[in-house]
Amino acid sequence: MAVIDRCETGLCLRKAASRSSGLQALTAAALALPGMLSSGDAAAADSEFAFQQSRYEEGKRNLFDAKVENPIQVDSIHASGKLSLTDRIKFAFNFLQDTWSGATPMSTAPLAGAIRPNIPVEREGVVSGASPFFQRTIQFNENFEPLAVDPVSRQTLGVDKRAVHVMSTASPETRNQGDFKLTYEWDELALDLGGGISIERDYESRFVNFGGRWDFNQKSTTLNFGMSYTNSDTYAIIDHDAQVYIENTNEGSQFTQAFRNQIKIEKGDYILQGNREDWGVNLGLTQIVGKSTVLDLSFGYARGTGFMENPYKVMTLVFVDPDTLEGETRGVLEQRPDERNQFSFGARLAQYIEPLDAAWHFNYRFNHDDWGIDAHTFESDWVQPLGSGWKVTPHVRYYSQSAADFYSPYLLIKQAFSKAVFVPGVGITRQSADDSVLPANFSSDHRLSGFGTLSGGVSISKEFTKGFTLEAGFEYYTHEGRLKLGGGGEAGFADFNYYVANAALKVDLDNLGRALDFFGDGHGHHLHHHGAGNPAGLMFAHMMDEPGSFMVGYQFMYGRQSGDMLNGSSVPLDSTIVENGCSTDIQCRFTPKFMNMKMHMLMFMYAPTDWLNLMVMPQFVDMDMNLRELSGRPPPAQGVHEHTGVGGHETGGVGDTSLSALIKLYDSGMHHLHAGIGVTAPTGDVDLEFRRIVQEDGGLIHFMMQLGSGTWDFTPSLTYTGTLDRWSWGAQASGVKRLQDKNESGYALGDLFQTSVWGGYNLTSWLSTTVRGIYTVQGSIRGDFNKFNGRGGPMDFPKNHGGRFWDLGLGVSAYVPSGDLAGNRLSFEWIQPLKDDVNGFQLERDGALSASWSYAF
Amino acid sequence: MMNIKILFFINALLLLQGCAPVAPWERGNLAKPHMALDHNPMRSALRAHNYGSREAAAGGEAGGGGGCGCY
Repeated sequence: MAVIDRCETGLCLRKAASRSSGLQALTAAALALPGMLSSGDAAAADSEFAFQQSRYEEGKRNLFDAKVENPIQVDSIHASGKLSLTDRIKFAFNFLQDTWSGATPMSTAPLAGAIRPNIPVEREGVVSGASPFFQRTIQFNENFEPLAVDPVSRQTLGVDKRAVHVMSTASPETRNQGDFKLTYEWDELALDLGGGISIERDYESRFVNFGGRWDFNQKSTTLNFGMSYTNSDTYAIIDHDAQVYIENTNEGSQFTQAFRNQIKIEKGDYILQGNREDWGVNLGLTQIVGKSTVLDLSFGYARGTGFMENPYKVMTLVFVDPDTLEGETRGVLEQRPDERNQFSFGARLAQYIEPLDAAWHFNYRFNHDDWGIDAHTFESDWVQPLGSGWKVTPHVRYYSQSAADFYSPYLLIKQAFSKAVFVPGVGITRQSADDSVLPANFSSDHRLSGFGTLSGGVSISKEFTKGFTLEAGFEYYTHEGRLKLGGGGEAGFADFNYYVANAALKVDLDNLGRALDFFGDGHGHHLHHHGAGNPAGLMFAHMMDEPGSFMVGYQFMYGRQSGDMLNGSSVPLDSTIVENGCSTDIQCRFTPKFMNMKMHMLMFMYAPTDWLNLMVMPQFVDMDMNLRELSGRPPPAQGVHEHTGVGGHETGGVGDTSLSALIKLYDSGMHHLHAGIGVTAPTGDVDLEFRRIVQEDGGLIHFMMQLGSGTWDFTPSLTYTGTLDRWSWGAQASGVKRLQDKNESGYALGDLFQTSVWGGYNLTSWLSTTVRGIYTVQGSIRGDFNKFNGRGGPMDFPKNHGGRFWDLGLGVSAYVPSGDLAGNRLSFEWIQPLKDDVNGFQLERDGALSASWSYAF
Repeated sequence: MMNIKILFFINALLLLQGCAPVAPWERGNLAKPHMALDHNPMRSALRAHNYGSREAAAGGEAGGGGGCGCY
């Protein structure tokens, strides 16, 4: 810590603290207070790598016994890193990815319905009736209250004021976000500059931020400030099923012109476009108020302008004819103000509880905006260390907000939507309502209603060795109208709950280095690795032979296919694909245009003895694919979801998990041989489906877009490596044998066998290059989907998978032998396809990139 | 309403200036990792993302990102 050297009082402290490295680190951090405290970094080191995976799952909505589609679920990963570029310059980055699918509310409608009720009807034991939808006819009484009507006898049952959500289901979608922050630190001042981008199919957001802190009053007081600017574009494809019922996208409707000039029609899709800008500033003050207490106060202002709507939310309009009291419903896209000004005030308290060595955190926040929303948040964490590196943190939070001025579950309009009237001189003519009956702004998004939420959870972490921590957490959250402060919240139809489970890994590179120094046994920086200069894309090739050593690693792989379609090794005509690419009964209509596959893999490796290494490798994958129509294709088949290819489709989430052991067979220093025995657990989903569309099931997504194999797989390998002076070389044979005939969706991927031969040369003590030749053979898929699949093209047929592939790998690898970052290894490999001989009809590969980082300690 | 809040904020600022300073060597407890105001930044980011896509009061902090939350 450079701070110590610059601080005179630090000298005496260092002496007193020299008894333990832990206390030394702690005192060093104390001197850096409170600047690091206020920026939230005191818990973390200057150089750190962290990875977090989480799953969000919502409970089913109350649709009053109508069929409930699977609620939304989100799989997320978050990788972050921090590096000290110099004593004063720090760099931090984040990568985040969310993949979600499932049903969410699109609108809200009265539950009562006269002709097509919003609840299922039971006749002679058979339940019928559709999911709630917003185009209905409803009977009202003279007070304009909706009346429930028995759907069979048509008798009025009485007033029923309840509302119900109209749900919309999404196919899997993915969001990627990357951001960075560069900080320059002076002794009592720091400035940071950051920026990033968030990309999803229907929304892209770019942001920059600038901030700083100033420590004064002997570093007892810190002033923080920050500002940010965000520019976001919406590009939303309106739900196919709803489009004709939404007046803005119904070409036959004259009701409203709102958003019409922002809607683009492309290949039958209605795409709503918009742009918004967001500015934010905040000012904060952190104060040490005692030996055990820190207080932080902050004030923020945020201003948003432009397209602030949620493009998928539809307002249900209920037109009630005052003469007949018959109500007729229509849907329009929601309209929010084009401007929003938000103010916030926050107070945070951290209190050290000496007898328990615990920290109690209490946060309060008040938000106010010119949409009429006032919100209060109360939050409390108790962080309790338990010894031996264990830490448990219970957490509770309460939030309450008032409704936006323009929120309403649906709008009641006391006139007929369309009525025959007698006009003198013209005769009987039809008059329709127009959008002058609407208020300027309206939304039925229940996030703008009045409600309260209560959530609580716990997280448990364990530091295994100084600087290496694993964490798991769980949180349950309930949103209820009746939990609103002071009452008056939205009715129960909008209530929902969710849970989030997360797991995280943190590697504090500074502390790991320190721990190794402290052991002083000379092993720390001289761990012996066989094949430390191996190609990045090669698995199971690297073995540690120091008992008790650990390695953590992260590998990223990106592969793209976008070449010609291949049949064997030759390029077929479209007409050949139409005729032969699918089956004898079905002609192909589509074929892949491109496909991208990304994989994030974590590696944990442990050497209990010098001849055995144990490895666990969880994976996170995501894929996207676009199709094109084949020329000469047959017309659309009945009941099949046809991809238009405008947006393509995406999947992602947790992939399969590899568990394996490496066993040393021979080691002479120059020559080394080891065997790998492992299995892959089927933790990746193989039942991902397209959303229902036009009342038809979308069916299972293509084989290669599923997230795993779905079967338990055996993964043996045999690796030979050799080193002499600056040269290294090796060979590996590896395989994947499916241990089951079929997975839950009815099929098993083909077995795989791969051989690699490589040579490497160390250009310097820390930089090496490799050249690798790879041959891969994989069988076609056995079995077939046991559920509905669209069968649109070659990608939906088992015979069009696997083949024989020849590749060349070019790699570069950097290893840090000493200094603060000693033990880190970073390597890249580009895999260039040389020849493909595919089974059936498949898209040609462009190549693949592997990047891997590992750290041994 | 707003004026009162600003007054309160300025008042708090002035009051804190009057606190007896805690000497650097007395800050051992405050330096413990679990006493950091944001003692788990990664989990805070996850929570903020989940709350932000479900509640109207998100924002008001310098930053950006987080996506549309349009579902």
